[in-house]
Amino acid sequence: MMSEPEHGPEKDVEYHPNSRFSQEIAAEPGGEYIRKCIQCGLCTASCMVANYTDKYRPRRIIQKILLGEREQVLASELPWLCMTCRLCEERCQEGVSLAEIFHVVRDIAAREGRVPKVFKDTVNQVLKDGWLLKDAFSDFIQDDRTDLGLNPEVNFDGEFVKKVKKRYFEQGDKEEVKDE
Amino acid sequence: MTTTRASRPTATESLADQKVPAALVVGGGVAGMQAALDIANQGFKVYLLEQSPSIGGRMAMIDKTFPTLDCSACILTPRLSETSRHPNIELLSYSEIKSISGEVGNFRVKVRRKARYVNEKKCSACGDCVPVCPVEVPNSFDQGLGFRKAIYSPFPQATPAAYTIDKKGDPACRATCPAHVNAQGFVTLMKQGKYDQALEIVREAIPFPGVLGRVCIGFCEAECERGTLDDSISIRNLHRFLADYERSNKLARPITARIDKKDKVAVIGAGPAGLSCAYQLARKGYPVTVFERSSHPGGLLRYAIPEYRLPRDILDEEIQRIVDFGVKIKVNTPIKSVRGLLEKGFKAVFVGSGACVSNRLGAPGEDVKGVIRSVEFLEKINTGQKVEIGSRVAVIGGGDAAVDAARVAARLGAKDVTVIYRRSNVEIPAIPSQVEDAKREGVKFMMLTNPIEVLSSKGVLTGVRCVRMRLGEPDHSGRMRPIPIAGSEFTLAIDTMLLGVGQSADSLGVQKECECTEFATVKADPVTLQTSIPGVFAGGDVVTGPLTVVKAVGHGRQAAESIDRYLRGLPLDSGISPAKHRVQSYEVDKSTIPQAKRAVMPKRGTSSGRADFSEVELGFAEEHARAEAERCLNCAVCCECGLCVKACQREAIDHSMADESVELSVGAIVIATGYQLFDITAYPQFGYGKFPNVIHAMQYERLINAAGPTKGHLIRLSDGRIPHSIGFIQCVGARDVSKDVPFCSRVCCMYGIKNAVMAKEHIPDADVTIYYADIRAFGKGFEEFYEMARTRFGVRFVRGRVAEVMEKKTHNLVVRFEDTETSKIQDVEHDLLVISPGIQPPEGLDDLAVELGMDLGTDGYVGVTNEIITPVDTSVKGVFVCGCADSPKDIPDSVSAGSAAAMRATIILNQMRNKA
Repeated sequence: MMSEPEHGPEKDVEYHPNSRFSQEIAAEPGGEYIRKCIQCGLCTASCMVANYTDKYRPRRIIQKILLGEREQVLASELPWLCMTCRLCEERCQEGVSLAEIFHVVRDIAAREGRVPKVFKDTVNQVLKDGWLLKDAFSDFIQDDRTDLGLNPEVNFDGEFVKKVKKRYFEQGDKEEVKDE
Repeated sequence: MTTTRASRPTATESLADQKVPAALVVGGGVAGMQAALDIANQGFKVYLLEQSPSIGGRMAMIDKTFPTLDCSACILTPRLSETSRHPNIELLSYSEIKSISGEVGNFRVKVRRKARYVNEKKCSACGDCVPVCPVEVPNSFDQGLGFRKAIYSPFPQATPAAYTIDKKGDPACRATCPAHVNAQGFVTLMKQGKYDQALEIVREAIPFPGVLGRVCIGFCEAECERGTLDDSISIRNLHRFLADYERSNKLARPITARIDKKDKVAVIGAGPAGLSCAYQLARKGYPVTVFERSSHPGGLLRYAIPEYRLPRDILDEEIQRIVDFGVKIKVNTPIKSVRGLLEKGFKAVFVGSGACVSNRLGAPGEDVKGVIRSVEFLEKINTGQKVEIGSRVAVIGGGDAAVDAARVAARLGAKDVTVIYRRSNVEIPAIPSQVEDAKREGVKFMMLTNPIEVLSSKGVLTGVRCVRMRLGEPDHSGRMRPIPIAGSEFTLAIDTMLLGVGQSADSLGVQKECECTEFATVKADPVTLQTSIPGVFAGGDVVTGPLTVVKAVGHGRQAAESIDRYLRGLPLDSGISPAKHRVQSYEVDKSTIPQAKRAVMPKRGTSSGRADFSEVELGFAEEHARAEAERCLNCAVCCECGLCVKACQREAIDHSMADESVELSVGAIVIATGYQLFDITAYPQFGYGKFPNVIHAMQYERLINAAGPTKGHLIRLSDGRIPHSIGFIQCVGARDVSKDVPFCSRVCCMYGIKNAVMAKEHIPDADVTIYYADIRAFGKGFEEFYEMARTRFGVRFVRGRVAEVMEKKTHNLVVRFEDTETSKIQDVEHDLLVISPGIQPPEGLDDLAVELGMDLGTDGYVGVTNEIITPVDTSVKGVFVCGCADSPKDIPDSVSAGSAAAMRATIILNQMRNKA
């Protein structure tokens, strides 16, 4: 039969892997097409991150979602490693948006207070310093910048950070970003 | 495109025996042939229309069928001959549908039968024409692997067994040339080193390959299609090379005059137009006498063009050739009356007296000592007279005569030569290379400047007052109109002014007997060049006003044709072939042509002092000329060199054939238009088209086919080595939502496995891998075949779609994929990669659907009314579909559908027969 495959969640007949967790993802904006995945591995082979670490396998994360491994996926820090370069989406022949799906997974995790510690720390560091690399910015780097003909002073504006914090984060001067 | 009414007996026959209902089958592939045979075997007439030169379709390209590994050609070719010999089937190969009207039982179909340029009945497919054809183009039947000639037969068993000339029309160069020199023709022959035959082609059109090779403005080069890629071909310099080559190697064969006609023709003026006309007429056998007022023939070629551009020995020799053809040239013989010539017994007269009066500047004070008309100046120099010029010279004008005058003035010792031209260096009409050379020789150019007053003291020139110009809107000539800038006047002190502001026809000249325009030019018919006096024709500058040499030469040739017709008593407009289709830019595939700069003309240096009157441009060396010719793109494919006509012993080749139009009356139509492969360049990550060892499955079929470009040797394209590791990539251009092909192409899994098995058959020790997502082995014997490939042949199946392909320096290819069974990302090196593309509805199916008012699915395939109970009925009654036109099918399914469509069609035809 040559009918146009329909995208989007189906109501009456279920042709796709149908765990409760995959339904949950599919119900969120961006997660709709997760159950189109046929596990061909094109995403993993295209992935920049997977190229550098054996731990990260986007196809495996999708597979776990499809199999309903909710606990395992939300507890893992792997969905947080996606760089959102979207090369996998560009190449995926089934129209699955992995970056969007991982975004949904992170949303769910955040709602349930399961942001991995390293990411929490990162955000707090930025809120505290205004940028990420304050501790790492040393005299050596200043020298390097001078050698490269760049201005050694990065002219970081702490006042501006305070304003931003006040404006966008209710916590204002409070120390920590709490789980929502 | 021009078409003529068909005079084919078979086409008109259909009206006579209209009682026998007929069907049209569109597409001569295996499904279409099946449908045609089934209908014909029931006693109905069938027109089998095929757009390519031969029936056979895709199956003719395929090496083996799956799952039985039968030889595709062995099954197909008996069908080909059965179809072509069937008394009820009329084959319309190399044809296209122009329009369809009517309804079931009475469709009226207009068909364009494209000209093959080979008579199907006379051609015996001996192939004698092929080795002589100089044009090589990528072989489309072999999927662009290897080359074929312009005259070709797609495969040995092609049906009908006749060759076809691939001719798209007139290439830009030939269409542009006023003298219609077959530029592609002679350039193509030059590629093969056939300089004599190439020169023969040039001399067909013009008597002056050497002269025009030096002084032609080269309209052809401006239009040359290669110019859209990098630089245009140096066409002018190439025919100059041909003439020089013949001359320096003394290869010229003696000419014997063959004047075998009685009617005498007079030509007035031995300029380019007159000599060209005389040359063409003498070659047709007419006795021609050329009357020239001056002491030497050649006209402005001799009197206006300086020797450093056109050495006189070249001109003299080429004029001598014209004389050798039997032309009499009478110099120092001014003609008083055109009618007088007719009374003296000349049956026809050609007026080519040129435009020999110099225009005036129109500025006050120009009649003072020191102002010289540039053509008169050049004439004096060219006839060896002395001309006094001062050290500061201004040349007014931007034409060739002005630039020539400036360069001559510089050679005569003027210290400061300035060309004053009112437009910019974009509009300047002189040949760009001449302007460049002039600058190199120290001539200054003052663009966007116009003289407004000539300043003199006591009747002697002292200076010129000029005004700066700017460019406004384009005027009637299409060039930007120069507008003076108020207040920008300035004065230039000069001793000599050379006026090169154009020429006009002599208002007291001999042409005034004919009807003339207010500019004293002759009113002549633009096509036949006939004047108001019967038997008198005119051409060249005397008709057009001052133009270029090649236009005059072209006019001479055109007039010779008319005079020939006139003297034979034919209507003047008879036999003028309608303008051929000019090959358009989009018709020339330039995607695979590497860039190459045009050859640089070697020039005599001027660093060692002042230039003299010896020739500046030295001409190409043979190797440069050959390399330059190699750059030609063969825009029109066939170059009409005519070598095939000479080679054919059965006189089957006719280059003057035109497309024919046939009208058919049919009761039912079967659409069997087949499919096209998905264009896999849409997947840049696989490097197809960039990496030589990435090929697609149909190319692979041709590679392993014994009749293919490698005679069946499976090699890789980069170095011809035998590949020992071959990868097959599945699901490319099929099951891909992002590329708008969500459906499965149905055949790729099986043909992929078949190709992998064939790889093992060809190279048993090869490592063969198939990268797949699913294997869909859905038919009888398919699963077993898949199993056999794995176990008996040892084909490796890897589950994981390939993400990207990288090329190594060795042209080996590295594929990156995730082996989904182990979750490992792997880079595997292969010698050869074969992509298995999905299949798609063919190009042009949408046009056919519009013509029929038929529905297409969103996927582009023909929609059927009901996929389960009427799988071959389209939405139009009486129109049926089979093969891959409605969905991807393998060969057996296509043939079944062909039979089914034939049955549905014959139900209608039977009803028609019963009614009658």
